[in-house]
Amino acid sequence: MSKFIEKLSILGETLKPIFSGHPIAIAGLIGFILFVFIAVFAPWIAPQNPYDLMVLDIMDGLLPPLSKLGNGTTAWLGTDAVGRDILSTVMYGLRLSLFVAFMAVAIGTSIGVVLGLLAALKGGWVESVIMRAVDLKVSFPGILLALMMLAILGTGVDKIIYALIIGVWASKARLTRSSALSEMKKEYIDAAEISGLPRWRIMLHFLLPNSIAPVLVMVPMSLSGCIGAEATLSFLGVGVPITEPSLGLLIANGNDYLLSGKWWISIFPGTVLVLLVLCINVVADRVREHNNPYLKSQDQQ
Amino acid sequence: MSKTPLLKIKDLTVTYPCGPEGKDEFKALDRVSINLSTSQIIGIVGESGAGKSTIGKAVLGLLDPPAKVVSGDITLLDKPLIGLSEEQYTSIRGEEVGYIYQNPMTALNPVLTIGEQVIEAIEANTSMRGKSAYKHAIGLLEQSDVSFAEDRLKKYPHQLSGGLCQRIVFAIAIAAKPKLIIADEPTTALDVTVQQSVLQTLIKLSKQEQVAIILITHDIGVVAETCDYVYVLKNGKHVEQGVTSSVLQRPTQDYTKALMASVPLIEKRLHRFALNQQDNAEDTSAGLQYLRAKEKSETLTKDPILEVCNLSKVFITPSSMFKPKDLFTAVNNVSFTVNRGETVGIVGESGSGKSTIGRMILGLEDITEGSVIYRGKDLKSIIDNKERQKHCLSMQCIFQDPYSSLNPRMSAGENITYGLKAHKLIDGNKAKSLAQDLMSLVGLKKQDADKLPHAFSGGERQRIGIARALSYRPDFIFCDEPTSALDVSVQASLLNLLKDLQEQFSLTLLFVSHDLAVIRQMCDQVIVMKDGESMEMNTNENIFKQPKSPYTQSLLSAMPVFNP
Repeated sequence: MSKFIEKLSILGETLKPIFSGHPIAIAGLIGFILFVFIAVFAPWIAPQNPYDLMVLDIMDGLLPPLSKLGNGTTAWLGTDAVGRDILSTVMYGLRLSLFVAFMAVAIGTSIGVVLGLLAALKGGWVESVIMRAVDLKVSFPGILLALMMLAILGTGVDKIIYALIIGVWASKARLTRSSALSEMKKEYIDAAEISGLPRWRIMLHFLLPNSIAPVLVMVPMSLSGCIGAEATLSFLGVGVPITEPSLGLLIANGNDYLLSGKWWISIFPGTVLVLLVLCINVVADRVREHNNPYLKSQDQQ
Repeated sequence: MSKTPLLKIKDLTVTYPCGPEGKDEFKALDRVSINLSTSQIIGIVGESGAGKSTIGKAVLGLLDPPAKVVSGDITLLDKPLIGLSEEQYTSIRGEEVGYIYQNPMTALNPVLTIGEQVIEAIEANTSMRGKSAYKHAIGLLEQSDVSFAEDRLKKYPHQLSGGLCQRIVFAIAIAAKPKLIIADEPTTALDVTVQQSVLQTLIKLSKQEQVAIILITHDIGVVAETCDYVYVLKNGKHVEQGVTSSVLQRPTQDYTKALMASVPLIEKRLHRFALNQQDNAEDTSAGLQYLRAKEKSETLTKDPILEVCNLSKVFITPSSMFKPKDLFTAVNNVSFTVNRGETVGIVGESGSGKSTIGRMILGLEDITEGSVIYRGKDLKSIIDNKERQKHCLSMQCIFQDPYSSLNPRMSAGENITYGLKAHKLIDGNKAKSLAQDLMSLVGLKKQDADKLPHAFSGGERQRIGIARALSYRPDFIFCDEPTSALDVSVQASLLNLLKDLQEQFSLTLLFVSHDLAVIRQMCDQVIVMKDGESMEMNTNENIFKQPKSPYTQSLLSAMPVFNP
């Protein structure tokens, strides 16, 4: 436990110089943490479990915001066609959206970093194969690739994560390779080689910690990209299954009612999606700015 | 002196805000005064952080924010310069004061021809236009000793050598006949033979054009050869000033004395640099014991420890879609032997292949042809991986750049013992105390073992690098320009340390440097290299007293000499 607190304080110390004096970025960070909190604890804080058919009442369907439900509780953001509380569906949807994006970014980044390091370290045909695969991926529109993947794999939460991973790994691999190549020219790598260290040690303890910084800077940006991509795919109906709706699917659900004046079904999940992506982008921008030496010097003036 | 003062700097103080929220300030210059009369050449000498370049920048109003002039005056021909607007400065820059940068390759714009850049400078600062500007450009280049001036105007900077580029920078600086030129380390990026002729051009220009020159440099030899008058600075403070010969030969201040004592001499080989080093307060016995405990399986006679036979290296750039295959011979048929306990030096200018030899010996580069026989065994012939590893670990390296030779994410101690731990030659808890012992042996504090490399200065980092090499109890260390990135005084103490270590542990050193004076001080045998070939190989005394090959002779005569 004490180790955990120590880790936390180290994290705090690294974050402090990035965010201090930038109120918008701090607001973004707080917003993001709030969204993550809601997503993690949705089953405990949501007014109802919108997917438990026992608590739903069709008589509560399509109520506007602030209406009273049949069981006496208030639907702050209204209900949808089958009487689900929009606030609860948004909380659950946020949970799924964030889960999918986190998984995709974590797995995709890990794959990309490992492949990029291998390409830099091994060179030769290994490098050629990996980098040509990256070229191939990058030359294809990402959303099209994801659509194709889902057409082949079918829908499902795991499937959409696979589809998003395909979009994430390539740019990470390319970035890791270039940053690792410039690190490899430095003399401490030579020193490690003279010491007869095995390749995996050089890769893990020398190359990885010194070439990962630019990749980490990209992570928040991919996160918001993945949330957006997942929402798009779900909106198009090829994403998450209808039984586990994400924000994108919720927007699509309300789409049919939008013209008949039932605006709340789409607007609230849409607003949350926009705010979430905005928060992450503000944080991402700040992190990128902090790590860019050119912008940094202007920053100080 | 009856000459009229050209530039007067009085009590100039420049500060950088630093610390949290910029509350503290760092004084880059602290009440420095300099006087300069017409067509005088003065030198400003000091080690890194002395504030030499800051003076030059302050005169031209080119201080990088957040640095600012806090107090003091700068007057150029009775005109105050402090507080001028950017526009007023523009009329002074180029027209009245020219500036010469350290690295000519980056001072010129790579996408414009030489002609465009020289003519641009002429048109910006004089009334000459078109044909007359072009003619003036040719004249300027000829004045700066650029041969084939008219042809060169059509060339791009990358097509010319560093020395030629620096001459073109001279031409641009004198385009508008300024009265003062500030030359910031103008020859540091150049090879010795080129440095000599570039400096001569600079002196000639100063005489012909009646230009005063402020020469900012760290190289005492350069000052001795060029300057009439010299200022010595340390940490932004004025230390000493006077006529060059008297300051260099009879320094009055302690700092100047120490500085002069650390300049490596070419005249005679000293046992050690005469530095008044503080006694190492740390206990070094544990480190000594560790290093002495190496296996005494081999006798410590003067047999050759390393034999290099007909070594060649050819770099091949493979053919691509756009270019045919390209061959470059970096090392051509070099042979030499290194005896146990000796120091062999390889000296040569950039591109002479001196580092490549060492990299091949260490196995960092593949050998194109020839063989390296270390401790009686050809490295290629050892097939067993374990034995090969043991063999190779007793060869270590000290690198050139202290800023990139340590893993920045590992503490100093971990950097030193990581390899030992990885090979399971030592267990975890002993590793820490060993790192501390080795650090105290190389003159660092034991408790600093937990700090990350960025907390150390360049010289200290180099010491960590030495400790890392020592951790394997090596017999042979390849030193690849280990002091070229360091200040003279740091260099002197580091060279002393290497000599001490060599004496204590009968280390064998292969010492690569471009600096003849360092080689003179360090080595028993010297190999002179040029374009990948060995020109001459002889004992230290013979090379420096009776050089046989004409190339060695030209190298020696080009060395800026400083005789205290």
